[in-house]
Amino acid sequence: MKVTASRISQLFFLALFLFLFIITDYRGKDEISVAVNSFFRANPLVLASYLFAVKGFTALLIPAILTAVFTVILGRFFCGWICPLGTIIDLLTKKMRRSAPIRFLKGPLKYYILFTLLVMSLFSVNISGVFDPLAILIRALTFFLYPLLGYTARAGWSGLYGLAGGGRDHVGFVYHFLRDYVLPFRETFYPLAFLSLAIFLFILFLERFEKRNWCRNICPLGTLLGLLGRFSIFSRMPGRICKDCGECKDHCATAFDEEIFQADGCIRCMQCRVKCRFDRVVFPFKVKKAFASAAGTGKQPVLSKRILLGSLFSGIFLSKAFSFRRPEKDHRLLRPPGVTSESEFLKKCVRCGECMKVCLRSALYPDLMRAGITGIFMPVIIPRLGYCEYNCTLCGQVCPTGAIPGLSPEKKKKSIIGTAVIDRNLCLPYAKKLNCIVCEEHCPIPEKAIRFETVSDVDYQGRKVILKRPYVIDELCNGCGICENKCPLEGRSAIEVFARKKA
Amino acid sequence: MKRRDFLKATLSTLLASQLPSRLMAQSGQPVVAVAEGTDHAAVTRRAVAALGGMKVVVKPGNTVVVKPNIGWDRKPEYAANTNPVVIKAVIEECLAAGAKKVKIFDNTCADPRRCYENSGIPAILKGMKNVEVKHVENERFKKTTLNGRFLKDWPLYDEALAADVFINVPIAKHHSLTGLTLGLKNLMGIMGENRGHIHRSIEDALADVNSRVKSHLVIIDATRVLTAHGPQGGSLKDVKVLNKVIASRDIVAADAYATTLFGMNPRDLSTTVTAHKRGLGEMDLNKIKVIKA
Repeated sequence: MKVTASRISQLFFLALFLFLFIITDYRGKDEISVAVNSFFRANPLVLASYLFAVKGFTALLIPAILTAVFTVILGRFFCGWICPLGTIIDLLTKKMRRSAPIRFLKGPLKYYILFTLLVMSLFSVNISGVFDPLAILIRALTFFLYPLLGYTARAGWSGLYGLAGGGRDHVGFVYHFLRDYVLPFRETFYPLAFLSLAIFLFILFLERFEKRNWCRNICPLGTLLGLLGRFSIFSRMPGRICKDCGECKDHCATAFDEEIFQADGCIRCMQCRVKCRFDRVVFPFKVKKAFASAAGTGKQPVLSKRILLGSLFSGIFLSKAFSFRRPEKDHRLLRPPGVTSESEFLKKCVRCGECMKVCLRSALYPDLMRAGITGIFMPVIIPRLGYCEYNCTLCGQVCPTGAIPGLSPEKKKKSIIGTAVIDRNLCLPYAKKLNCIVCEEHCPIPEKAIRFETVSDVDYQGRKVILKRPYVIDELCNGCGICENKCPLEGRSAIEVFARKKA
Repeated sequence: MKRRDFLKATLSTLLASQLPSRLMAQSGQPVVAVAEGTDHAAVTRRAVAALGGMKVVVKPGNTVVVKPNIGWDRKPEYAANTNPVVIKAVIEECLAAGAKKVKIFDNTCADPRRCYENSGIPAILKGMKNVEVKHVENERFKKTTLNGRFLKDWPLYDEALAADVFINVPIAKHHSLTGLTLGLKNLMGIMGENRGHIHRSIEDALADVNSRVKSHLVIIDATRVLTAHGPQGGSLKDVKVLNKVIASRDIVAADAYATTLFGMNPRDLSTTVTAHKRGLGEMDLNKIKVIKA
């Protein structure tokens, strides 16, 4: 069996992707030098939707320009050489038997999807991350597969404790290695874990119908790269299936829907070239007129008026159709530190899940409905589950678009997530005349945003008591949520963080 | 020399060389050793030596738990966690006394990884043989019967329960609820679950836990202390350098003496008073023998 260079590259980038995924975590340093965000920063779909939505540029996305430029030169190589989702599809579905392609998908659907996403971005609702293949993969990993791995390993290790007690330490080195270098520090269960996994599995399921079904018919990143790749100066020859052989149709995953080679489908995997029995296949250097290939065949040109207008309307419709938000949910719409404007956040967030992966205290969770359905998968803090660690700035460091700004620790400590509010009907010193002030103890602000007044009182048994009753200094509180997290009441916390309008 | 004088001298020499702490701390007057100086490792060693040395507590082959305070994500100079230099000196003394293994851990308040990292303790102990610095693992908290005044039972850390010797090495610092946090309160670091629950009756709860898990040796790090905004601090303005280490085998006596460093009276701390009333040790400074080491 011949191994193509593209396959070696695929495996390399998959390994790199997984490696970066795992090291996107706190490893004893306040700074993360490289993280899996590199893949998003080199992602032209992220770039395009960012440009449309923000109507501006960020230096973070310079690598994406390079990818776009290389795609114009080399064609849609990203899909065949780099994309880790594509690689996983190739590896897992190698032996799968395909039935006939789904006709519905063979139309211009992928262009509608891509352009609708871009038009929505233009109208400030950037949801392209929901369909971005890399984001889909990271979400499936972060929200489901990685916690599952951690949970399974930990359950085994805990189970061993039940069997062998402290004696398990004799075999501890295996587990300790995994714990230190592979597993998540703690197991976190995420909302939308099932949905994230289901989307990923659905993509694999689509393979039953056609090779690289997602990539060739749906993927908005692939479609965008295909459009850019049409300009490629390397064209494949021969330009159609040879009458005397026709095997290319079986080898090729993406570019031979019909007899004629489709430049925007070719992912440059080189399978056809390696496997050609006649050594006919070449990719000569040739400047040709892009967008011409489809014109001569009687097929609909890609950028037809119908598709553009259709996408324009659907984009406008969809960008506003789901804008309704319940005000009471807004109160608990606690965004990561440094996010000051909800509308800006909606324009920039890729929903890649990296902030949630890296979050030290598992404070960030993918949202379903707090910000309306268009906010799906965007991060919110749920303080009762995890709080924002005072000295930590990791989420801002790994955010690929700066939706969560990369702040210095000093600025981050002062950036406001919300404000803590005490519920005196629940809080022990008020409600039960018992001392507590766990919240005050944990408040990380050196001057203390939670303070207390000491009062003499008579408790409900008639005994004299000295009570320490907490209160919040709004000006100092940054809404980190450690008070809500640590409040020792069972169930609902007596102190809760509410979003507040930021100046 | 008269015969009586001879006997006196012989006896007192014997007492001085052989028995001082071993007998006195256990059966007689409680002893608190206080050492002062800028070389914190040496200070720690002097304080321990004044009690008769680590070999009084640690026997060859013992498994020792050294329990520092690593509760907060603060660097050593902020006086929220036990001084790593003091911890290292204690551990070296344990190993020199023949300890088979020394384990160090704390159930932290802020993120455990950041707390450990910034405490400087794992870094300073790196490479030491037979020394284990570990994060606590939830399954190792064992529901333990206390039959106390406030706590009937509570999950306590099994390694603390199983250790041959438990050495309690808190840092002395301000605490908003209890006034100060010292040796008695440092035991919260071996408690699991929703520890904040005990704040509603912390004096009794701490006495309950300290009755079950006895500190064989208490070494209070007062090399620098937090005078306000404790137990977490975060501002160097609240830190005071005292360069002192206090050691005692009587946890209440150690706490009582440490209280005086803050200009307070042992009676001001309800945790100390309750522990004394419940027979955990002596809090009356007049009944405690203080050795300046």
